[in-house]
Amino acid sequence: MLQLRTQKLQPYLLLLPALSILIAFLLFPLIWNIYLSVHDVSLTTILGGWKYVGIKNFSNLLYDPDFHKSLQVSLVFVGGSVAIQFFVGMVLAVVLNQEIRGSNTLRALFIIPWTVSAVITGFSFKFIFNDSFGVLNYGLGQMGLNPVAWLSDPGTVVWTLVIANMWHGTPFTVIFLTAGLFSINPLVYEAARIDGATKIKSFFYITLPLLRPFILINLILITMWSVNFFDLILVMTNGGPLFSSTTSSLYMYRQAFEFGLLSKGAAAGFIMIGINLILAFSYIRLFRRQ
Amino acid sequence: MILFEKTLLYSTVAVYLFITLAPLMWVLSTSFKPNEEAISFPPKFLPDNPTLDNYLFVLTDPKLVTSLFNSLLVSIASTALSVAVSALGGYAFARFEFKGKNLLMSTIMGLFMIPVVINIIPLYIMLANVGLLNSLLALILTFQILIIPLNIFLLKNYFETIPKELEEAALIDGCSRLRALWHIIVPISMPGFLIAGILSFRFSWNEFVLPIVLSNKPDVMLFQVALYQFISLYRIDWGYLTAGINIALIPVVVLMLFFQKRMIRGLTLGAVRG
Repeated sequence: MLQLRTQKLQPYLLLLPALSILIAFLLFPLIWNIYLSVHDVSLTTILGGWKYVGIKNFSNLLYDPDFHKSLQVSLVFVGGSVAIQFFVGMVLAVVLNQEIRGSNTLRALFIIPWTVSAVITGFSFKFIFNDSFGVLNYGLGQMGLNPVAWLSDPGTVVWTLVIANMWHGTPFTVIFLTAGLFSINPLVYEAARIDGATKIKSFFYITLPLLRPFILINLILITMWSVNFFDLILVMTNGGPLFSSTTSSLYMYRQAFEFGLLSKGAAAGFIMIGINLILAFSYIRLFRRQ
Repeated sequence: MILFEKTLLYSTVAVYLFITLAPLMWVLSTSFKPNEEAISFPPKFLPDNPTLDNYLFVLTDPKLVTSLFNSLLVSIASTALSVAVSALGGYAFARFEFKGKNLLMSTIMGLFMIPVVINIIPLYIMLANVGLLNSLLALILTFQILIIPLNIFLLKNYFETIPKELEEAALIDGCSRLRALWHIIVPISMPGFLIAGILSFRFSWNEFVLPIVLSNKPDVMLFQVALYQFISLYRIDWGYLTAGINIALIPVVVLMLFFQKRMIRGLTLGAVRG
């Protein structure tokens, strides 16, 4: 009897170390964030004695034009990043899945940017995109084009970040969708070919439907990563010029750790959790309905 | 038609290969240039006077060297810790039926999608209150949230490919579950551990958000943060910085290239069975 009971407990005991770490450092902070967002916590009062302030942190955010601006910047950055990374990643995954010489070596080379940290990517592209001595503007000049103020023009800077993020993030989509393509039985294509389907037709009628679960998870992940992306931006532009590249995640970081307004940052974080959840669930619904 | 198709395929690959490699090559070339040459315009594609001074500077700067050792220590320790606890957890998921199993697994994967930026403020306050701010231990522990879910997922899938009969014989002979895991499952799961380990190392080595907030004192700083401070404190010396970039790249790029074939296979296995 006793042995039976320990038998039943065994899986929970095995999971205990991993779960306790996840609860302490992931779940607890996530929930505690709500508590912090309705109190007044700053870097000076960090060790306790927090006053309850109700929704004041949230109303401060609501009336903060910089926060509104950051949501707009995020929208452009996330929309651009996800669309480009998904499209390019899909094209490359499919191309590499064709009979191409050295496709394994190519995959290895294509993965490299994903192994490079966002910070390092940021540094490198800050150098390449430099307005005065950057190699990219030099290249444009050689081709007879005008130099672009990649990092100092408020209208361009978000797109510069999207390009850097594309370089860094696309390999993930390539690997992930490649994994999906590997899971499709080649006999399916063979059958379609015998029935006279063209390659383009079999892509739309076989590949895409079978890839759907992979596409869904891929889209959710790259969207969330883009919404919360922040290290590359901090390094490349620090949110500038002015606020033209301050995304919501960078806004949150600055409120908390530059201005010391921890609970205002927590409120912004709470709103971002909401945005993440809404986006994830809309993807899931969108994919279910089709 | 076929020729056209081939040309299209190969030119797509060629263009993206250029996009992928050109920035890296440029940074590599710059790191061997003296500082004034690094920002000369028009740029020179290969250094006129190649020098190792940039690397020597980075590798003798006491702050950067300390941070390099800290990064290695934290990455190795957090990789080891997460692979160990995820192996136990993954084994539970792979071999037991228990109440709430599916719910627990999807919660863990759901948590994986929650970005760490959102948690930095509560984590900062929490660690400040227990006195763990600015310690390497705090980094090792908090890095776990980045990698445990992924490792559980990968290892669970790996264990599921191993026939149950292998341990069952040992269990009947009176061997305990833990011993069976250690003596039978672990030795034949090395490929799975390898993938989990490399990915964990990559995530730990590259992490920036947690260390910049949780430990920015010189003696507990990590390399990525030290490089960042390095450019914000002084004027940017691109020669030094590009050398630092390459030093930061070496461990992960070498690991990835060395094991990429197994990586893709391992990830595929995980994905297909997930």
